[in-house]
Amino acid sequence: MAKISAMRQFRAILKKDIVMELRTKEMLTSMGLYTLLTLVVYYVALSRAGNGFDVRLIAGGLLWLAFLFTSMLGLNRSLVHEKDQGCLEALLLSPLDRPVIFFGKAVGNLIFLLIVEVLTIPIFIFMFLASSPIVGPIWEIALALLVGAIGIAGIGTLLATMSVNTSGKDFILAVLFIPIMFPLLYAVVAATSGVIIGDPGYQHLFWTSMSIGGGYDVIMLVAAYGLYEFIVGA
Amino acid sequence: MSEASSTGLALEVQDLSRTFGARKALDGVSFELPRGAFLSIFGPNGAGKTTMLKVLSTLTNPSKGSAKVVGLDVVQDAVELREHIGFISHNPLLYPDLTAEENLEFFAEIYCIDDPKDRVRELLAAVELDHRRFDAVRTFSRGMTQRLSIARALLHHPEVIFLDEPYSGLDPHAMDILDSLIASVRSEHTFVMISHDLQKGLELCSHALILAKGKVVLFDERDALDPDEFKTTYRDTVGMGVA
Repeated sequence: MAKISAMRQFRAILKKDIVMELRTKEMLTSMGLYTLLTLVVYYVALSRAGNGFDVRLIAGGLLWLAFLFTSMLGLNRSLVHEKDQGCLEALLLSPLDRPVIFFGKAVGNLIFLLIVEVLTIPIFIFMFLASSPIVGPIWEIALALLVGAIGIAGIGTLLATMSVNTSGKDFILAVLFIPIMFPLLYAVVAATSGVIIGDPGYQHLFWTSMSIGGGYDVIMLVAAYGLYEFIVGA
Repeated sequence: MSEASSTGLALEVQDLSRTFGARKALDGVSFELPRGAFLSIFGPNGAGKTTMLKVLSTLTNPSKGSAKVVGLDVVQDAVELREHIGFISHNPLLYPDLTAEENLEFFAEIYCIDDPKDRVRELLAAVELDHRRFDAVRTFSRGMTQRLSIARALLHHPEVIFLDEPYSGLDPHAMDILDSLIASVRSEHTFVMISHDLQKGLELCSHALILAKGKVVLFDERDALDPDEFKTTYRDTVGMGVA
């Protein structure tokens, strides 16, 4: 047997998750359809708001609400695959540092979340922002989406691992996920809204929010790295 | 290689206990097993058999006492020890949406095996599944899945193989295939098997252990056992109920 390589193990977990998702399309299909359904519901509700209503004022919140609930759907699925037929146990029996499992699963979830975000944004702009365009540059929206997705994938993977062994896993994930994610959500909603609305001086709000979001991501990822061994073995 | 090579013992279990709240699943278990042995563990439901296997395979930490597998401590040397053990359960521990080949290649990468493709082909041939290597595991029968599970457990040439009721749910033909597979690798590994089937367990083992209420009731070499006395002891322990 060759020397154990964490990078080789990480790549194997990531490749396996991508191959399985490309084959079953369970996560992407369910997340994509859920997001689309949410956008349609928003559209129907806002169509009655009248021409005087500037949808940009709430667009950031609407977008992140859709991503938040969609991601919870996907995160639960990603760990259920591991739980099926004892596959998580097989990983735990192998010479694998537990954080490698965390990073493999979290990066896989991040990729799937980003795919859903990339597909959703043009539809969102077409449905809600066609007549009132985004004021700030689109790359700032992309940065806010990336910072938010990193936090959601990292913390979500940790919490999904905690909840997957419980009988009410969907309930447990929701109860833990939303309060813990609140600082990040606050930051990315503020940043996204700032770019969409483009008030004078929004740049300050954007970068302050991005600093909070980025800092939150780093702290939570370090905490998840340290806690994963304990959580996965519990 | 590790200090594992320096000892002639496959298992060294000293005063091992594992509690879950107030319940003692294992209570002061001690025994030693030489390398190359085949240990069958018997006992009623809830006797602590699965907990013992979980402790020995590093899935659960002991609450008290110590256990070494091929000279490596199950707590201190857990990551290194996992390179030396294989695990076959009644649960296949395989991804149903991946093919047989993809499953083995995935675990070959996790164990960082040299020439993983060659090793996978060799094992698929050994368990007579090479003709189904591109088929998803979810299309396999129970017996075929169990054969693939054995291939997964053997990928990294483990020194000790743990078997948790491997015959559970198999039809007689699949049991025969599993028997011949175990026989073909019997001399190369130490086996520790949980079984509810007295006859099958005794037929395969070199050593037998009966657990009840988390304690060792009997541990001896099979050749030293009187079969009638063993069966009587076993029936008595089943009457003792759960731990």
